[in-house]
Amino acid sequence: MADDTYVKDMKVMNEYGIHARPAALLVKAAGKYDCDIFMEKDGNKVSCKSIMGLMTIEGFPGSVMKVTTSGVDAQEAMDEIEELFVNKFGED
Amino acid sequence: MAISVKTLWDEGAETLQLSIIAGEQYLDRKLPETTMNRPGLALTGFFQYFANQRLQIFGLAEFTYLKSLPQKEKLNRMKDLFDQQIPGIVITRNRKPTEEMLELAEQHKVPVFRTPMVTMNFINECTVILEKLTAPQKRIQGTCMELMGIGVLLRGDPGIGKSETALSLIERGYSLVSDDVTEIRRTTRGKLVCWANEVTRYHMEIRGLGIIHVPSLFGVAAIRRQTELDLVIDLKHPTGDEDRTGVQPATVEFMGVEVTCITLPVRSGRDMANIVEVAALNQKLKELGHDAAKELDDKIISRLTRGRVKHG
Repeated sequence: MADDTYVKDMKVMNEYGIHARPAALLVKAAGKYDCDIFMEKDGNKVSCKSIMGLMTIEGFPGSVMKVTTSGVDAQEAMDEIEELFVNKFGED
Repeated sequence: MAISVKTLWDEGAETLQLSIIAGEQYLDRKLPETTMNRPGLALTGFFQYFANQRLQIFGLAEFTYLKSLPQKEKLNRMKDLFDQQIPGIVITRNRKPTEEMLELAEQHKVPVFRTPMVTMNFINECTVILEKLTAPQKRIQGTCMELMGIGVLLRGDPGIGKSETALSLIERGYSLVSDDVTEIRRTTRGKLVCWANEVTRYHMEIRGLGIIHVPSLFGVAAIRRQTELDLVIDLKHPTGDEDRTGVQPATVEFMGVEVTCITLPVRSGRDMANIVEVAALNQKLKELGHDAAKELDDKIISRLTRGRVKHG
């Protein structure tokens, strides 16, 4: 169970992409977990717990992010992050 | 909010240079409309739309007009005026009231005041005082500071470090308005003004030290009598739910006025004074029309959506 690593591709489906508000939601969700959470696109990898990181990753609408979680609560973290993507970060 | 004539007398007698010349025992009369009226038109006998709920001001014009009337007429008009249940009369420019005016005042239980002030100045001053007396006002828990023209109210549970933060801010050259208990009033312009309770003004309680007197220790530059409130800062133990972007700051409402409200997590070793200072600076910047968080977000959105291909 410990130190499992999960990798999943997720598509940005909201209208404006990962701007400040979605970034804040992701950071807040990620901050609740002890595991490491990263987001990767075009060879750029940033921590999902860093708001400045997420705002520089260029999460265009329609682009695909590779999310990696590793650590004790990696599965739960992945589920919550995925839910945010699926719900379009609560936007249209 | 209706006040009594006595409230005006207690609070404004000095500023307005008032002395009472009749009806002193009737000061409890209510002043239903907290403003003034010059009864010139009523003295001509026209009583439709007479603002009888207001304080009546007798200036030069009223006296000169009364003088021009035959004795009997004069008496009748005055009687008519007193029959309207007016709350009180102020005579400006230290004019001498006529005997019948004083008699009628006693009969109708109406207090009569006199002031050496010129009518216009009296009305201006009295309006300010009445406004202050009737403005919605309450006492709230929190320490109020003024930083570079920005009024900041620090709130938080007892012992979280409001006073310590305030002390650090004073050491940085900012001014204390009130410690722990703040009086707050809504002005007619829809702004909030904070000041300290008269008794404890400029004193602070620092845990372990006890009570200190701020101007004695830091000089008069370290205090301010009152400030408009621009920003509320709640000091809280960390919850993990703090605002991370500041794009849509929360607000808090006092007497119908909304004020920006920031929640700052307090951790040991974190320099709260520094963060409060930056928050105030940022608020000042916003009031100048420059919202850094919003601008960055707009910039990111425009980059993300540039030359967009509509996705499926």
